[in-house]
Amino acid sequence: MSTVIQETPVDVVCLGVGFMSGVVATELALAGNSVVGITKGPYWDYVNDYSTTKYDEWGVGLGRKYDSPLPLQSTTIRNDSSQFALPVRRYTMPIQYHALGHGVGGAAQHYGGGMGRFGPWAYEMAKRTSSAYGAGFLASINPQDDTHDWPLTYAQYEPYYVEWEKAHGICGNYNGSPTNSSSDVNYPWMSQNYPLPPHPMTPLAQLFQSTVQGMTAPNGQKYNPFPSVSALSSQPYTNQYGVAVNPCVYDGYCGGLCDYACETGAKANAAYRTIPAAIKSGNFTLVTNAYIYRLELNPSGNQVVAAHYYDAQGNDHRQPGTVFFNGMWGYNMVRLMLLSGLGTPYVYNSGTGTGTGTVGRGLTNGYTPYRGTNVSGTVNIGGNSYPAGNGSGGGVSVFDLMDDNFSHTNISPPFIGGGLFGAGGYLGGGPGNITFAGGVSAPNATNPNGAMGSAFKVTQQNKYLPTKQSVGATPFAPDLPTFMNYIDLDPHYTDAYGDPVSRLTYDWTPNTYNGATYLVNQIKAILTQMGATSVTVGATVAPYSAHNDWWGHHLRGGLRIGTDPNAGTATAWAALSGYNQLYYNSNTSGFNYFAAGEITNTTGNNATAGTHAAGPQSYRAAEGIKKYLANVATNVNYLSS
Amino acid sequence: MPVLVVPDKAKPLNIPVFQSRIPKPEELVVLDKPLLEATLEVGNLLKDCKAKWALAGDIGEILNGVNIQPDHLTILTNVAGCEEISKKLERFQVVASRHVETQIRRNAEVEAKPLPVMIKSYRSQFNLRGQRLNVHGDLRIKVGDWDWGDPLDYEPEYVYVIGVKVPVIPLELKTQLYRGLGWYDRVSKIHAAMARRHHKIV
Repeated sequence: MSTVIQETPVDVVCLGVGFMSGVVATELALAGNSVVGITKGPYWDYVNDYSTTKYDEWGVGLGRKYDSPLPLQSTTIRNDSSQFALPVRRYTMPIQYHALGHGVGGAAQHYGGGMGRFGPWAYEMAKRTSSAYGAGFLASINPQDDTHDWPLTYAQYEPYYVEWEKAHGICGNYNGSPTNSSSDVNYPWMSQNYPLPPHPMTPLAQLFQSTVQGMTAPNGQKYNPFPSVSALSSQPYTNQYGVAVNPCVYDGYCGGLCDYACETGAKANAAYRTIPAAIKSGNFTLVTNAYIYRLELNPSGNQVVAAHYYDAQGNDHRQPGTVFFNGMWGYNMVRLMLLSGLGTPYVYNSGTGTGTGTVGRGLTNGYTPYRGTNVSGTVNIGGNSYPAGNGSGGGVSVFDLMDDNFSHTNISPPFIGGGLFGAGGYLGGGPGNITFAGGVSAPNATNPNGAMGSAFKVTQQNKYLPTKQSVGATPFAPDLPTFMNYIDLDPHYTDAYGDPVSRLTYDWTPNTYNGATYLVNQIKAILTQMGATSVTVGATVAPYSAHNDWWGHHLRGGLRIGTDPNAGTATAWAALSGYNQLYYNSNTSGFNYFAAGEITNTTGNNATAGTHAAGPQSYRAAEGIKKYLANVATNVNYLSS
Repeated sequence: MPVLVVPDKAKPLNIPVFQSRIPKPEELVVLDKPLLEATLEVGNLLKDCKAKWALAGDIGEILNGVNIQPDHLTILTNVAGCEEISKKLERFQVVASRHVETQIRRNAEVEAKPLPVMIKSYRSQFNLRGQRLNVHGDLRIKVGDWDWGDPLDYEPEYVYVIGVKVPVIPLELKTQLYRGLGWYDRVSKIHAAMARRHHKIV
């Protein structure tokens, strides 16, 4: 039998210590509350853990030495409910090349840092679509449609965006403003500029910018290009918690297929932006290498009283608390709630094409289909293409092909939304081990001379100091929530401790593909205007003709906040309905986001799995928790205030 | 490297457990909130200052990532700058501008000998909601019975404080000063900050 250790009760228990728990833990600790943060991985010290060991493509890219260990906990995946789901056993394409996080900072320890706010349309997607295109339009284009609006509008979330951007030192200019002026606000509007300036633009980005400035977008107006938004600090920075942040050193080991950790702490994540202030407050205790396996409920079943976790030595801990904040990765969050009997599990009925319950409902994807309609070309850019750089800076983006910023009337095939498009990210944002290794090959039938020795060197020269750059995009429109995509517990596979792993039932919805059919032609026009040669549009990929075969970290959904308790799991304060002292961060809200496209050859601008939109909700949750703690003794219904 | 122990299983799983250390509070570079707010206010109020100025002293260092805890703010400028800043921060001024010569608390260590360090400057003092701000115009330093040095001059570097661009004294200049004074503990702190940034050590 393992030893059971009873921990001291605290005001707030944060489950997982990634981006969102970082905000909640810091806000509550600085407000004088006792806070414990529990994470299954270590605290990564960027000086000692990354400085010399991160330049290891094999270990980082294939060994995934910094990532969530799959033998400890994985998930299973299938495309529809009739299939037998198989477990993900390793981090390689096409199953999963972007790895999940492990420890303080979570997946943001090794992401590209691309950011971007959701626009007003995303928060009212259902209402605005119905208003613009008719009440039945959404249902007609999205089989088994389960789209709902957020409980709050963009205007209500905007102040929380500002706080989150300040905390993490987000780099950029006023969205859509060529003059970087608050009086020249485009989409989505911002009450304050980003706290740090953007990274220097690449030649390709400048070409893209000057090209689209002279072009008319589908809405009849000129395009509004702006520097791509990044969470990699461009300058020395101090945030509102007083945490000093080092700037990016453009070492080139940042994004790419490996998604390297940052050895200067310039890559924004909880470990180097918020948690230091929490630790410094003296009110925060960090518990590392601790695997949370249950939330314990009171006898009435309406309050969480303790988190149960194992430490690395196999001891079994009980951490009591007044409030619990679930800041785990998306489907781990859902899984813990299902394992603990919290909320109503979602159950899909394939016969009716509907479902009941809320926990696990609305799984969606924020990333491009693995195989989709694409467009590509070649741009002669000269020899300087920034061979170093980082994972998300240097580019230029436009919002003009996103959301409802152009009319979708009479477009065939029909779709809603669009994508954020950008170009010109640093070529050397990060070597991809698989691509890199693939550059070396022995002589074979298609390449009689092979690609070794001098041939390989030429390949590398062309890669990092090219005179021509390939540009292309596999665009897509938002993946809409549908009853058929969801998370539940797998009946066959378990984690290392014997508990069921999460099972993802997911396939891209038609809106993604239909949007691509339209968007590739818009991008083709831009590429042509940029002077690209050999601009080619690939064959149209029809919905459900290419299936999801990977479980990306851009998957989200399964815990929705909303005003309808039959569809949403939590209130507008991000408190679980019926359990006012369990909060979670709805990174995974599966009914609202924008999709991303890219016409860049190195980086995508895909809002980093929705992190930028989830961030404001962490401040919202922190505010809700403060209200709850202030009123818990008097049992005042603070949610009405 | 230790591996994971699973309860009620005799054999540990071959899952490596990273034993990295959680930093102690004193190891983290975090500026206290009152000084942070005062810095922000100074940055905003002096945004359009025409004279060359920069945050100096401990506050300039922590904003550049050096692990030092300031107890007040210091600005380094010239005489004209001191006058201009005094006007812009007039409502916070507690001591009017005047020429002052003082001995600082810490001695220099030159060839193992402690020598008094004198400074003289055209100086103003302010109080921003309880936080002291000293503004030095044309600051000069004298060690022991050596001659007075020239007024300190510099090309400021810039840091961002919650979105406000603020000039600070370059760490390279601070390193030279500290070396001259024999304050190698402060040199080490700057070197540690530079190493964390992966910048060259000056």
